[in-house]
Amino acid sequence: MSDKMNPDPFDALKSGQVPPAGDAARRRALAAGMAAFAAEQQKSTAPTKGNGFGARLRSIITSLKGNSIMDLRYPLGTAAVALLLLPLGYQLYSTTALTPGGATPAKTVAATPVVPIPADDAPAITTADLAVAQQDKEEATAEADASEAVVSAEPAPLPLPVAPSPAENIAVSSAAIAPQRMQESMAPAAKMVAGAPSPTTLASPMDALSGDSFASFDEQRLKVVAEEPVSTFSIDVDTASYSYVRRALEDGYMPEADAVRIEEMVNYFPYDYPAATSADAPFKPTMAVFPTPWNPKTELLQIGIKGYVPPADGVHKPSNLVFLIDTSGSMDEADKLPLLKRAFGLLVDQLGDQDTVSIVAYAGSAGVVLEPTKAAQKARILSALDDLAAGGGTAGAEGIELAYRLAEEAKVADGTNRVILATDGDFNVGIDDPERLKAFIAAKRQSGVTLSVLGFGRGNLDDATMQALAQNGNGNASYISSFREAQKVLVEELGGTLDMIAKDVKIQIEFNPAVVSEYRLIGYETRMLNREDFNNDAVDAGDVGAGTTVTALYEITPVSAGGGLVDPLRYGGAESAAQAGDATEIGFLKMRYKLPDSDVSQLIEAPVTPDLVYGDIADVGDDMRFAAAVAAFGQKLKGSVYGGSMDWSDIAALAQSAKGVDEGGYRAEFVGLVKTASLLKPDADDGGAADCSGENCATD
Amino acid sequence: MGLTAAGAEEAGEALTRALVVRAQNGDAEAFGELLADQYDRIYRTAWKWCGNRSDAEDVAQDVCVKLGSVIAQFDGRSAFSSWVFRITLNMVRDMQRAGKRRGRHADAYAELAPDSQRPEQEDGLAHQALWDAVRRLPEQQRDAVLLVYAEDMSHAAAAEIMGIKEATVSFHVHQARKTLRGLL
Repeated sequence: MSDKMNPDPFDALKSGQVPPAGDAARRRALAAGMAAFAAEQQKSTAPTKGNGFGARLRSIITSLKGNSIMDLRYPLGTAAVALLLLPLGYQLYSTTALTPGGATPAKTVAATPVVPIPADDAPAITTADLAVAQQDKEEATAEADASEAVVSAEPAPLPLPVAPSPAENIAVSSAAIAPQRMQESMAPAAKMVAGAPSPTTLASPMDALSGDSFASFDEQRLKVVAEEPVSTFSIDVDTASYSYVRRALEDGYMPEADAVRIEEMVNYFPYDYPAATSADAPFKPTMAVFPTPWNPKTELLQIGIKGYVPPADGVHKPSNLVFLIDTSGSMDEADKLPLLKRAFGLLVDQLGDQDTVSIVAYAGSAGVVLEPTKAAQKARILSALDDLAAGGGTAGAEGIELAYRLAEEAKVADGTNRVILATDGDFNVGIDDPERLKAFIAAKRQSGVTLSVLGFGRGNLDDATMQALAQNGNGNASYISSFREAQKVLVEELGGTLDMIAKDVKIQIEFNPAVVSEYRLIGYETRMLNREDFNNDAVDAGDVGAGTTVTALYEITPVSAGGGLVDPLRYGGAESAAQAGDATEIGFLKMRYKLPDSDVSQLIEAPVTPDLVYGDIADVGDDMRFAAAVAAFGQKLKGSVYGGSMDWSDIAALAQSAKGVDEGGYRAEFVGLVKTASLLKPDADDGGAADCSGENCATD
Repeated sequence: MGLTAAGAEEAGEALTRALVVRAQNGDAEAFGELLADQYDRIYRTAWKWCGNRSDAEDVAQDVCVKLGSVIAQFDGRSAFSSWVFRITLNMVRDMQRAGKRRGRHADAYAELAPDSQRPEQEDGLAHQALWDAVRRLPEQQRDAVLLVYAEDMSHAAAAEIMGIKEATVSFHVHQARKTLRGLL
């Protein structure tokens, strides 16, 4: 053996220490073995006769033939077990692995029947044999002992006959085996039940079992203005979180907390902020301060911006799009590849004749599906899309490099060059290391090719990677849960998806400690920037597409309201406040952005003045109230420590009152969603999930 | 095996054979002795394959039950210990295959109830990593490596237990080494 020549790493295995078995386990095993042995002996002395109690007819064949090879018990037993396990296994798999969470009852049902299978070997046989034993009274000692065992072990569900000699103590322990084994097998089931949040909750939250992964983050914490007067963050135009949450709720699950990113939920909805008038100053902020619906002592500062919309009659900027499509086997589901084809079909319909489309598939049927083709040849593009099929191995190596190469080939100088990655979570695009992938995408971004990510399906979704890639690629991440969503993202918001009007947009707010004592940014946890990053043009931030609206909400505690959660410092310097600017100003807003083809950032400044303050939430515009309702909903879904106290019914009423024109029907849908959530996780205190208790209804 | 009977091992082998014959003839006492004699070996093997105590104990118990019901079918064509080995490995495999369907659950809960046995039993993380890596090998490679190294058997003995040719055992070991090259 050649492995003796050089030191063999496997040799280390020889020295492995094995911890000793537990005494109890050992005794149990020996007793179980003895019981099985005794049962076997009984069987051979008193052959089993037909028995109506479900005992399997076995051993006659063996004892006649005396030949273990011809023993039919194993194949039959295996077949029986397979018949049992396959549907159960499938059920377990489909309720817990593919679909999120899996309702608690289903888990319990699936787990329980497993019990008889391991127990089958010993006790099931012995009940049958026992009956036989009782009939054949003239048989010698064995039967006598066995019936004794029956009497003594009566309360046990499955009394066991016992071998003659080491009778006494084994009789006791073997009677104990059955329930004990049951208990052990039940243990996982019990654990699963324990995993559910509380008995009153109707729906289990989607947890790690859903198969989708999300970057986890902590909620924004309250900050004291005296200590940290400046808050800096990057804007976020993604909407994936809301689509995901909606889908989960519609399927009857509470979404997992990390899937709820409040800013993405708020930004999902179109708001009617006044748009900027020229491409040079591509947006202007709209601000309002109004009472917080969930906390009477605080106020909400809302900052809304709407991207400039290029005039429709202007020259259409040519687009060069590369679809990078995941065709792995997992995409072969109705809400993945087929939906993707229709979604891209929609997108192709929107394109002008001089736009270019290429298609690259990865993971599965790899390679270039369609060389850069002018959108004038729609039929060709659509048929190439149609030919995509999911399945096959994962051979797709340099998918992403291929896609970028095609994008470079067909690059348009004065337009959008973008790779659109569509996947259900398989990112084996050719670069395995996520960091290298991000660096690659960021490098390509510098050369003018951007990246958007469309997520499809569920069970495999890698939300964190989606977000990271889209952020590095200056594009947006969207989650396409349905055809309707595809329509929203790829038709109604096509401009925002494709036509970037400003990049690296950062917002910085400085609060006036004389007016505001505490503040808290709602959402944007994953988008926080350091104070010094604001003026650093090298720091990447969010991008705004044409016509996109972005909303940020701060919950602020006015000094005068006395609602502060943090006690003032005993030795705090009172003189530090209000040395500059207007003492009545609430704060000062600064926004930095770069024009699409510039590397130098521009600055927009605006003070938050007292005349922006509304005394009653009913006075502010629909958009403001609706954004507040969405924020409240997000906080409640997340189980926020700050804003989770509002009732579902109040949220629904607030949103209902702020529906406005609601052209796309999105706000009406949101109200429905709040009601769904209220049924899934009713408010603890009262049963009034659907109706609103008079006092709170007065707010609308 | 051991026709020129001499030495403790052969004596033990002979005793085992005698016990087996008595048990096959229905002597429960002999079977009890036999089990008590074999249990530790069964358990140790199971532990090496499973890597944790509770699984190993379950497997060992299943093997005992199995032995109780099939001892009569032992035909003496191979050594009793190899026969027990085969049963043990089959049980391990059955359990792990059944467990695979629940694997996602098991993993999810593993964090809640870490197997506290492991760290103190193994010396060093590298050692632990090696065991884990070996246990994750494809079944045949894992069986071959563990039989040859952890159980310190000859390739021929391993081949007999696995029911394959000796050359195939060597091949599996070779494959395993290749699979784990990055790790070792």
